[in-house]
Amino acid sequence: MTAAILDGLVLGLQFGLLAVGLTLVYGIGGVLNLAYGQMVVVAAIAVSLAIGAGLPVGLAIGVGLVAGGVFGLLMDKTLLRPVYRRHGEPRVLLSLLLTLGLAFIVDGLLLWRYPLEGLTLHIGGGPVEILGVPMRRGSLLASSIAVAAFIGLFLFFRNTILGRAVRSVIQNEEGARMLGIDPKRVRTFILVSSGLLAALVAITRSMSIPVTVTSGISLTIFALIVTVVGGLGSVAGAFLAGIILGIVSSISASLIGTFLTLIILLGAAALTILLRPSGLLGVPEE
Amino acid sequence: MTSQGAETSVGGRSDRLSSRAIASLFLPVAVVGAALALVPLWLGDSRLMMGLAIGGLLFTCYVIAFNVIFGSTGQLFLCVGALAGIGGYGAALLGDRFGLPIVVSVLLATLFAAITGGILSWIAVRRSLGVIFTGIVTLIFALSFENLLLGLGDITGGESGFFLVTGSETFLRERIPPYYLFLGLVVLYLLVHGLLRRSHIGWAFRALRDDEVAAELTGVNVARYRIYGGLIGAGMLGLAAAVYAVNEGRISPTTFGFGEVDVVVLVMLAFGGIGTLFGPVLGAVVFTVLDELLIEFGQLRLVAYGVLIIVLFLWLPRGVIPTVRSLWLRIRGLESPGKLKSADPADGALEAVPEEIQSSD
Repeated sequence: MTAAILDGLVLGLQFGLLAVGLTLVYGIGGVLNLAYGQMVVVAAIAVSLAIGAGLPVGLAIGVGLVAGGVFGLLMDKTLLRPVYRRHGEPRVLLSLLLTLGLAFIVDGLLLWRYPLEGLTLHIGGGPVEILGVPMRRGSLLASSIAVAAFIGLFLFFRNTILGRAVRSVIQNEEGARMLGIDPKRVRTFILVSSGLLAALVAITRSMSIPVTVTSGISLTIFALIVTVVGGLGSVAGAFLAGIILGIVSSISASLIGTFLTLIILLGAAALTILLRPSGLLGVPEE
Repeated sequence: MTSQGAETSVGGRSDRLSSRAIASLFLPVAVVGAALALVPLWLGDSRLMMGLAIGGLLFTCYVIAFNVIFGSTGQLFLCVGALAGIGGYGAALLGDRFGLPIVVSVLLATLFAAITGGILSWIAVRRSLGVIFTGIVTLIFALSFENLLLGLGDITGGESGFFLVTGSETFLRERIPPYYLFLGLVVLYLLVHGLLRRSHIGWAFRALRDDEVAAELTGVNVARYRIYGGLIGAGMLGLAAAVYAVNEGRISPTTFGFGEVDVVVLVMLAFGGIGTLFGPVLGAVVFTVLDELLIEFGQLRLVAYGVLIIVLFLWLPRGVIPTVRSLWLRIRGLESPGKLKSADPADGALEAVPEEIQSSD
C-alpha cells in the first residue's frame, strides 16, 4: 500500500505539472487548448532530435524548452488572435475548435516526417529506498523537478509584479486593464510559459515513459481531466487534483486493474462537473 | 407545468402547416433522394466503391442526427461515436449472443442509444451545463465507452472487435440493396428533421436557440425540448449504426471512435451549415469524396483535416449552404440577409453557435 501511495504521488506530481500549462491558459485567455498534448510532443521530439544530432543532453533539453516556448508564442501571435476577439462562451468554443484543428495538423506533420521518433531519458543508477519502497531514480528526479516547478510558480504568483498582474487578469480582465495592465502582453507571457511547462512535462515524463509522436491526444485528455477536477484556471487546484487523481489511479491500478482505472478517473471528472462545476479550488462563475 | 400554455399557443402554428410548406419540404428531399439513388448506376460494379458510398450515407445519417442535437438544441454532444456505438454493439451483441431476430435487436439497440442520449441531455439540463461543460461531460462519456469496449474484451472482442453472424446470408450483405436501405434512412431522417423544424417542437427549438432566457420566459419548456433533441438525435445515431453493424458484418472500437466519427461529423456539419436541413448531406458527400481523393497522401490527410477545421471555423463559420444562400439573395438584390430570417423562418438557417462567434467580432 505504501508503494502504491508513493507511486501515486510520483504520478500525481506528473498529472499536476501536466495540467498547470492547460489551466493557466484557460484562466487567462479563456482558451481551451486541445493542442496542449501536441505541445508536449513537439518539445519531446525536439529534444530527441537534438540528442540524435549529437548535442549533449543538457543542451538538448534547452532546445526542447525553446521549442515549447516558441510553439506557445506562435499560437498566441497567430491562431489565437481571432479567438481573443470573442468573449465568454464563444471564445472558449472557437479556441476549442481551432486548437483541435491545430492538434490534427501537428499530429499529421509529425507522423509524416518522424513516424518512429520518441523520447526516453534514461536516468542511471539503481533504485533508492524510501520508506522501505525501492523508487527509481528517474521518478524521483521527475518528481523533484515537478515540485520545484510548483514552488517556483507559487513564489512567482505571490511575490512578483508580473505574477500579480497575471492573477489580476485571471480575476478580472477589464479591471486589470483599468489598472494599466495590458492583458495582451500577459497572455503572450502565459502562452510562452505554457509552452515551457509543456516542455518540462515532456522531459520529466520521458524519464519513466517514452513520449512518442502519438502521445498527444492522451496527454491532452489527462490534462483536461485533472484541470476539470482541480477547477479550470486554478494552479493550486491543478496541483491538488493531480496528487489526488495520481494516488487514486495508482491504488485502483494495483487493486482492480488498469482498464477500470481510466474509467474511474473519467468518472471523477464527470462527477466533479456535475457536483461542483468550478472544480476543487476554482472560483465559481457569477 | 408551465409549458402547457406554450404548447397550445406554439402548437397553433403547426396546425397552419400549408400544403405549400409540405411541398417545399418533400420536393427538395425527393430531389436529393433521387440524385443519391443514381449513385449505384455509376459505381454499382465495384464492391469497394459501393462500400464507400454506404459509408457516405452512414455519415450523412450521423451528421443529420448530430444536427438535431447540436444545430437545433445547442447541445454540444462529443459522443456521437459512442451513441452510435451503443446502437452498433447493441445490435451485434443482442443478435449474436442472445440470438434475437435482426429487426428486434436493431430496434432494441436504437432504443438503448435514444435513452442514453436522453439521459445525457437530462443531466446537462438539470445541472444547467453550458456548451463547454456539456462538451466535456459527453467527451468523458465517449472516452469511458471506448475504454469499456476495450476492457470488456471477453464480450466485445476488445481492440479487434468481432465478426457478426447476425445479418449474414441476408440482402444486407449484398452489394447494392444495403445502399438503398441507407438511402431510405437518409430520406427518413431528412423528413423527420424537416417536419420537426416545422412542428411546434421546431418553433420551440428555434426559440430556445435564439434566446434561451426569452424562450423560457414565454413559456417554452427549454429542458423538455433539449431532452427531446437528445432522445431523437441519439435514436437516429443508434439506428443508423445498428443497421451498419449488421450490414458490414464486423465492428470494432475504431468503427465508433472519437477521432473516426465525432471529429469527422463536426467538420462535415460545419462545412454544410450547422442547423440547415441539407447541410449534413452536402458536408457528408463532399468529405466522403475528399477523403477518398486524399487517401494517397497518408498522414498528410490529417494535416488537411486540421487546416480545413481552422479555415471553416474562421472564415466560413455559417457553412456553405447559408453563405451561398445569402450571397444568392444579395446578388438578386432581394433582401438583406438579416431580414431573410424573419421573412422565412422555416427555412432560416439555425446558425446558433457560429452566429455568436461572428457577432462579437
